[in-house]
Amino acid sequence: MNSIGEECTELKKQYDDCFNNWFTEKFLKGNHDDSVCAEKFKVYQECVKRAMRQQNIDFKEVDKDVLGTEKEMKAPPQDASS
Amino acid sequence: MKIWTSEHTFNHPWETVAQAAWRKYPNPMNPAVIGTDVVERKVVNGVLHTHRLVSSKWYFPNWAQALIGTAKICYASEKSEVNPSQRQMTLKTSNLTFCRYIAVDETVRYTPHPTDSEKTLLTQEAVVTVQGVPLSSYMEDLLTNKISLNAGKGRQAIEWVIGKLDTEIKEFASSACKSTDELLSQTKKSFDDITSTARRSMDDISSKAKRSLDDIEKFAKDYYIKYWRSMHDAANDNNKDNLPIGYLISAVVTAE
Repeated sequence: MNSIGEECTELKKQYDDCFNNWFTEKFLKGNHDDSVCAEKFKVYQECVKRAMRQQNIDFKEVDKDVLGTEKEMKAPPQDASS
Repeated sequence: MKIWTSEHTFNHPWETVAQAAWRKYPNPMNPAVIGTDVVERKVVNGVLHTHRLVSSKWYFPNWAQALIGTAKICYASEKSEVNPSQRQMTLKTSNLTFCRYIAVDETVRYTPHPTDSEKTLLTQEAVVTVQGVPLSSYMEDLLTNKISLNAGKGRQAIEWVIGKLDTEIKEFASSACKSTDELLSQTKKSFDDITSTARRSMDDISSKAKRSLDDIEKFAKDYYIKYWRSMHDAANDNNKDNLPIGYLISAVVTAE
């Protein structure tokens, strides 16, 4: 699977291969030490964060709570005479 | 707001399905998904937490693009937890691109089947909300239909990935391949059906909207002419020959 940053796709593939192997061989078998892919993850992360900034993708917006707070849009008041 | 739920049983143990879930993309059933990126990942107390950015290409009808913009690449935020000791995997996805108008929140859970631990139960729910744009219930229906369709494709995709994993290991998949082809052509067919149905109702809405616009225009014209005439007559009656046009307009606007 590609990355949003074209230049990150190769780094992502290397990391994904490492992760999938770790997930199957280590994590599912009860070994929680994830340091084996840490270096590949770091390099890939730097690339992807840069690509996200360039494409103006921001996660903060979606993490905000809106429903149930005062930021929630209210329905317009109903006109009693109609 | 529409809530949509579904359940499905995989004839594979939870561990196999969890592995396949990470390798779900790319697959031929969800060609719309063009990228997945991990933005955060850590193991806390034996639970793997992952935050991913999922990019997909959506095709909207022209009228919808006028309302929500022409953005064709959409981004979604997917947060997941994998607990191997309890054999639980949960993924929560919400869209980023249409935050202002459309919110799609989807939750997918993979757990061992309660009566057969060698099988895996998938439960899935989606909440669609559309606010601030007209035709919202119509658009909700359109999106809910799309989610149902995609959910089916997602299940096939997991099976497809499991098939691929098996091939890599054991080199067998010709029978799976055949059924994948059948599923693909079925999926294609139902997608075509939905597209043509949607197009038909869209044409219907357009012509209705056009008709009511014409009605409004005609009504407004009649209304204006009627009041302008009556005010003009009234002005003449009172010998106020040089009434300013503003007077006439405000009389029309305030008239009951």
